[in-house]
Amino acid sequence: MTGVPAPPRLGRALLRLVVPAEVRDVADGDLHELYVERRAGRGAAAAAAWYWLEVASFAMRFTLDRATRAFRGLGGLVRRGAIPSALDLRLGARLLARSPGLALVGGLGMAVAVALGAGAHAVVNSYFYPELPLHEGDRVVALGKYDRQRRTEDERLLHDFLVWRQELRSIVDLGAFRTVRRNLVPETGQGEPITLAEMTASGFRVARVAPLLGRPLLDADERPGAPPVVVIGHDVWQSRFAGAASAIGRELRIGLSAHTIVGVMPEGFAFPISHQYWVPLRLDPDVQVARGSGPDLDVFGRLAPGATKQSAQAELSLVAARLAADGPAEFAFHEARIVPYTDVFLNSGDEAEAGPMAAIRYLIGLLLVIVAMNVAVLVYARTVTRTAEIGVRTALGATRGRIVAQLFGEAFVLTGLAALVGLGMVSIGLGLFDRAIAGQLDGRAPFWIRSGLSAGTVLYALALSLLGAAIVGVIPALRATGTQLRVAMGSLGGGGRARLGATWTALIVAQIAITVAVLPPALLKGEQTVRMALQPSGFAAGEYLSTRFIFEPGSGAQADGQPGAQADGQPDGQAGVVPDAERDAAGSARATMTALLERLAAEPGVVGATVSAGPPWAGGAGVIEVEGADMSPHRVTVAVVDTSYFALFGTRVVAGQAFTAAEVALLPGDRPVIVNRAFVTELLGDAAPVGRRLRYHSYDEKVAPWLTIVGVVEDFPARASRPGEGGVRTVYHLEVPGDSPAGLLTIRLRGQPPEAFAPTLRRHATSVDPLLQLSATRPLDGMYRDHTRGGAQLALVITLITGSVLLLSTAGIHALVSFTVNQRRREIGIRSALGAPARRVITSVLARAAKQLALGIGFGLVTAVSLDLLTGGELLGGNGLLLVPVTAAFMLGVGLLAAAGPARRGLRVQPTETLRAE
Amino acid sequence: MDHYHLGEFEQLVLLAIAQLRGEAYGTPILEEIERRTGRSVARAAVYITLRRLEEKGFVASWLGEPTPERGGKARRWVKLEPAGAAALREARQVSDRMWDGLDVASLTVR
Repeated sequence: MTGVPAPPRLGRALLRLVVPAEVRDVADGDLHELYVERRAGRGAAAAAAWYWLEVASFAMRFTLDRATRAFRGLGGLVRRGAIPSALDLRLGARLLARSPGLALVGGLGMAVAVALGAGAHAVVNSYFYPELPLHEGDRVVALGKYDRQRRTEDERLLHDFLVWRQELRSIVDLGAFRTVRRNLVPETGQGEPITLAEMTASGFRVARVAPLLGRPLLDADERPGAPPVVVIGHDVWQSRFAGAASAIGRELRIGLSAHTIVGVMPEGFAFPISHQYWVPLRLDPDVQVARGSGPDLDVFGRLAPGATKQSAQAELSLVAARLAADGPAEFAFHEARIVPYTDVFLNSGDEAEAGPMAAIRYLIGLLLVIVAMNVAVLVYARTVTRTAEIGVRTALGATRGRIVAQLFGEAFVLTGLAALVGLGMVSIGLGLFDRAIAGQLDGRAPFWIRSGLSAGTVLYALALSLLGAAIVGVIPALRATGTQLRVAMGSLGGGGRARLGATWTALIVAQIAITVAVLPPALLKGEQTVRMALQPSGFAAGEYLSTRFIFEPGSGAQADGQPGAQADGQPDGQAGVVPDAERDAAGSARATMTALLERLAAEPGVVGATVSAGPPWAGGAGVIEVEGADMSPHRVTVAVVDTSYFALFGTRVVAGQAFTAAEVALLPGDRPVIVNRAFVTELLGDAAPVGRRLRYHSYDEKVAPWLTIVGVVEDFPARASRPGEGGVRTVYHLEVPGDSPAGLLTIRLRGQPPEAFAPTLRRHATSVDPLLQLSATRPLDGMYRDHTRGGAQLALVITLITGSVLLLSTAGIHALVSFTVNQRRREIGIRSALGAPARRVITSVLARAAKQLALGIGFGLVTAVSLDLLTGGELLGGNGLLLVPVTAAFMLGVGLLAAAGPARRGLRVQPTETLRAE
Repeated sequence: MDHYHLGEFEQLVLLAIAQLRGEAYGTPILEEIERRTGRSVARAAVYITLRRLEEKGFVASWLGEPTPERGGKARRWVKLEPAGAAALREARQVSDRMWDGLDVASLTVR
């Protein structure tokens, strides 16, 4: 064999790898022979090149051939019955229709499980792993600073931004923005607050989206003294200018200054978050900005061509380290970070948290396994009754795989339908969730959030339904076609002798235990939520119009200008220091509110108006101690109101007095307080409340001043914990309208629907102070309905989940007893024939179910009590002694009821029939 | 067995085997097709088709003697089986029936 040249060794190995065994040697030999010939005629290189080309052709074609065969094989599997056929699915649907109880109970449980799993998947994907829908969106990054010592993000980035913009080379078009609210004052004079992005012109370059009309912001617009301009979004262009091209060049009065519209952005554009108005972020290059000063800014940019997140981070860290070395010690713990753009807004930016979040996405899906195991118990109980049928089919030649495939197919009909229903629930739930998030984010979610049903979520739900079908169908099928089948085949026609083994018994016991443990807290929470949702508002619906107000920063001064200079006058300035500018602003705010209230009072139909921190049903939380009492700290609700509050809502003063003008004159720390009846009943007992003193509990050495109670009001009904019962103990503080930069203004009207008064209110507000922003102007009862709606939705979810758990465990007991009766038909028949009394027969049938019920309830009780103890009684809110035994008794009742039906069937077993069958 | 319609390339391979009259294996089959059709044929396609035809019982194969030029591997000779011959005949008849009444020269495209 020596002397014969061999083809390239690697090529030959590859050929032998890709070609199937039966062709391998022949193909190898043929190519070898041809290679030798070619090499002799055309040289080694040409022969080798030819050989490699042939190997490549073999690799490609045989791989394709394998794939084709695999697909054909799949079809063959269906034909041979190893994969469920359409007939199996039809049979499954028919079986399901024959047992509507199982379909309903199993289907609902699976649907809720799929909904939870797929819903969590969709929410986590869209909120925590979103893709930025911009050109090369994955290269858009956010830059931030993390204070390692304080463990917070430091957002005063103006100084850093200016340095980064000058020095960083790995990031291009570095820009910054901040979100501000300003009043937009149209020609009608009814100002309304809008949200603007004060953004550097580079933001438009980073987004790489061209305007629909006009131009974007330019660097020149950022210079101090440049004419004020604004770019508007598509929605605004449509709603305010009816999509007219003439919008360009028109003026918008924003705050105190008129801005010229220079551009309109296309539909869907909302960069940087959810904005529709863009004005330049004005930065004066000549002003020295101190570190850690200036407004909160978000900084963003695009990775330069060739740069990676890692290389940019390395460069940023270098710059940051130099800045830290140069600057004061307090900045030594600041760490500059580059994160994906969307991370800044919803993630902590901490990469260590990314893993758990990814896990949550799939772990919630595992809930399905628990539910599926429950449903499997039910299906198994039914499958076991079909052992004889399965035995016959096996005897006629059906393989075990065929029978398992059939049962899998039947189960898939159930879980597939459940997945469809579950996806429907997810779709509705996502809509509600998005609306809730948008509500939190000023009406619009970030532009990259698309949490509707995605193909990924649908596929995930399909995978869950297949997994469910595997558990529900295959496990019982494997059990039913295992050793039990051989036993069953030995006694064909006798109904089978299969047993519900220890695993299934344990599952039923666990199910009952979980129900007993879960029901009490769920009931408690559900009851509280429903009570809250049903509670009447306690004020005359349809008479009140309310609006949130906020004094724009720089009220009484020019709104635009250097953000750094402006921010120092903001109320969120450094703690402990109240700048003079703010004191002045407060003074002017008080004057503004007084003027507004006077104007409103002069309007026909206005009964009165009041200013409070929030609506009657909301309030802050505080911990107080009462002088002379046990001095132990008590939680209370804190409400801040003005002198007209109680009169306007018709709240009766039951002792002492309401707030008067005399208290207004006092300094805020010296002003007395008013409490409600619940406060007196729960904390003061029978002692006279007026004149008693309370103070806020302090956890350090600083002692809060004593506050005297001057009056007691009846419980405001919307604050009652239960309709017609005592309210939530509340302390009312007095504040003069305008003392706080934000609050709620409520107007009581007569003779007109409240919403009709809204334009008048806006007109007055704008004419008193164009910078006074009013938002959420709407009837108070509508606001109350929204407040309770969330509770109602939560109650619905709790009911669904608890209902599923209860249904499943009830069905489990039912299945168990049905199963026992079916198994023991013969025995019951014989015993009845021998004259056994009915009571004894039924007792023996129920004995096993009762034993499992008792065991499950026992475990459940222990779990419930342990959980309650672990949470310090929080879980059951001190109602454990009542709730837990009641749930146990309820479960016992439900269990016996579920067992009663099949047990009665047992009594109806005719001895003659069973003996004839024998 | 289901009725099986020969594909075009399967027909070519079967016809090449028939033409080679007992001297058929991978390389000559490929060369015969290329020579008579003027088309270039992928060698792997021939092996894949032969394997399929053998699975269907249209051809039979046997191993020859291993030779050093073949790296010690034997040749796999193939021959037409009655089922293969029948399938070819049927394919021809179908084709003839379809051509019946048509003149190659008069075919026009409207």
